[in-house]
Amino acid sequence: MRKSKKVIMAMSGGVDSSVAAVLLKRERFDIVGVFMKFWSDGPKCVANRCCSPESEKRARLVAEKLDIPFYVFNFEKEFKNKVVDYFLKNYKLGLTPNPCVVCNKEIKFNLLFKKLKAEYIATGHYVRRKGDKLLKGKDKEKDQSYFLWKLNQKILKHTLFPVGDYTKTEVRKLAKRFKLPVLDIPESQEVCFIQTTINDFLAKHLKAKPGQITDTKGRVIGKHQGLWFYTIGQRKGIELPAGPFYVLDKDLKRNVLIVTKNEKDLFSKELTVKNINWISNVRFPLKVMAKIRYRHKPGSAVVNKNKVVFVKPQRALTPGQSAVFYKGQEVLGGGVISGV
Amino acid sequence: MKRIYFDYAATTPVDPRVDKVMRPFFDEKFGNTMSIHSFGQEAKIVLEKSRQTVANLIGAKPNEIVFTGSATESNNLALKGVAFANKDKGKHIIISQIEHPCIMEVAIWLEKQGFEITRLPVDKYGLVNSLDVKKAIRKHTILVSIIHGSNEIGTIQPIEEIGKVCKEKKVYFHTDAAQSFGKIPIDVNKMNIDLLTASSHKIYGPKGAACLFVRQGTKIEPILHGGGQESGLRSSTVNIGAIVGFSKACEICKKEMKKESQRLFKLRDKLIKNVLKIKESHLAGHAKKRLSNNANFWFSFIEGESLVIQLDLLGIAASTGSACSSMKLEPSHVLLAIGLKPQEAHGSLRISLGRWTTEKEIDYLIKVLPKVVKQLRKISPFKKHA
Repeated sequence: MRKSKKVIMAMSGGVDSSVAAVLLKRERFDIVGVFMKFWSDGPKCVANRCCSPESEKRARLVAEKLDIPFYVFNFEKEFKNKVVDYFLKNYKLGLTPNPCVVCNKEIKFNLLFKKLKAEYIATGHYVRRKGDKLLKGKDKEKDQSYFLWKLNQKILKHTLFPVGDYTKTEVRKLAKRFKLPVLDIPESQEVCFIQTTINDFLAKHLKAKPGQITDTKGRVIGKHQGLWFYTIGQRKGIELPAGPFYVLDKDLKRNVLIVTKNEKDLFSKELTVKNINWISNVRFPLKVMAKIRYRHKPGSAVVNKNKVVFVKPQRALTPGQSAVFYKGQEVLGGGVISGV
Repeated sequence: MKRIYFDYAATTPVDPRVDKVMRPFFDEKFGNTMSIHSFGQEAKIVLEKSRQTVANLIGAKPNEIVFTGSATESNNLALKGVAFANKDKGKHIIISQIEHPCIMEVAIWLEKQGFEITRLPVDKYGLVNSLDVKKAIRKHTILVSIIHGSNEIGTIQPIEEIGKVCKEKKVYFHTDAAQSFGKIPIDVNKMNIDLLTASSHKIYGPKGAACLFVRQGTKIEPILHGGGQESGLRSSTVNIGAIVGFSKACEICKKEMKKESQRLFKLRDKLIKNVLKIKESHLAGHAKKRLSNNANFWFSFIEGESLVIQLDLLGIAASTGSACSSMKLEPSHVLLAIGLKPQEAHGSLRISLGRWTTEKEIDYLIKVLPKVVKQLRKISPFKKHA
């Protein structure tokens, strides 16, 4: 008999990674289940939703049912250093980061690969890999490719995404059919290590830095407690009379928040990116569909090295967020929005 | 997959001979030792016979043995019990830096209750110097507690010397002998021990039974109050089945100790000799003054946790003092105390042998370990192996 290939299956105890494990098992991979403990604000990992003791217990039950070895890795320190500190540093710089993008690459793939020797690492992400190409997940609603643009070829060829070929509904059905001991809890789009709101978290970890709020003409119309409490395009939470106002820009040097009443001001066509990672071979100028935040509907754009120009103006280009470039289903690459 | 167990220091399987004597005590002879009727009498007699057997192994009197539920409980009883019963004399207690967590944590708790703790350092082999003990004892010192055989690095302390110092200074002396009890000869009188912790599941008895030897006349308070079992020192319905097993395990150890430890010495030394052939591998602890069943290595550039997992995937069960274990993040305090850097302590691997360890198993480990170490060094996050 041919020796089956070893896979490290990242298990969170949730539906997606549990079903992914079953799918791999059916393909006769030699699976090692791994549960990762991350850092959580507040009591020790009690409520980091994806790594609570309750999730660990469920992941362990799934591993037992599949009869695969199961280990727990405590990545609190690394997670705090690489993900949480990055998150705070970015907010302090007036940016709006995507911590999941960093976590996926630095923790879920890079770190795991240094812990155990295996051919592959598998996760429950809704994306697909075909050869050296990273594709969107079959489920358009659930597609998580936006968070995986940092994977390079060296890592990519060692990845497996078993649920990428299924829709969430299909995955839920499979979980039922396999009688997996998982709870199908409603999903949260919030940052996993924050237990309250991002603003509460930032207020706790960053010192208040009050400044002025001005309109586009530079007239002072109010006060803010720290630029990091605001995101470009934001409407809610700007407690000024005679609104609604939208956050248009942050002047970091002067610590001034610039707001506008005219939503049209938020629309623009051009941005620059940094920390670019190209997964596919590309040539410039490159026609792409570009996505500038997780829930953004991709727009046509042309990329020239680090410059991106959309065909139509897009609302609220936000520094710190990822810009991910697609061609059809394929993820060509991405970068972090640095200038707009 | 065939599995090999190299973690006897964590716990041991119950010896079939122990298993056999225990069985009737769960259904036929299930009585409560406190009951007046025949069922109770039956249990009580067996309890006292068991006490005698356990006492015999360390040269104690039967009435000096208090049965408890675990070595952790015994250690808690020893420290808290002596501390609170003698607080009028003083509030100073001496322990070492390489105690088991159940001593370390009790010490921290006692500090919060107003006691003062001295934590004696050890040398690079993990040895406490009895002169340090002597120097540390003050007028208000009430207790010295030093682990006998280290659960991590196997180092055996000069208990007799320390006992002598304590006797001269008229300070109670407790030793946590959970790892050494049943493996090396212990005589509480010759060694001047006033309190000693021993456990059943480390010597092929069941879990849930342990004891604390308390020298007659020792001032000690219970930590569990209730029905007054165990001369009032440990209220709780007596776990008679487990205690019967514990005593049988002691009986077997007494009979087989000499031969068995010689056998294990030979296997263990063969293992050490061969593992140290691996590049950048090191032995933690003392070459001679160590428990016959313990080997503790550290390997540069790799994490003990990965090593343990990789071995487990090959069916070999071992243990580590590595920092990244899922429960705690700090590296083993014992390895740090003997002078290892955190990075080095990360690379630790403890192999503990036991009654069913065979030479074939040792040979298999000797064959497999160098390959696994090499594999892991290739993917190591630390400095690449030179």
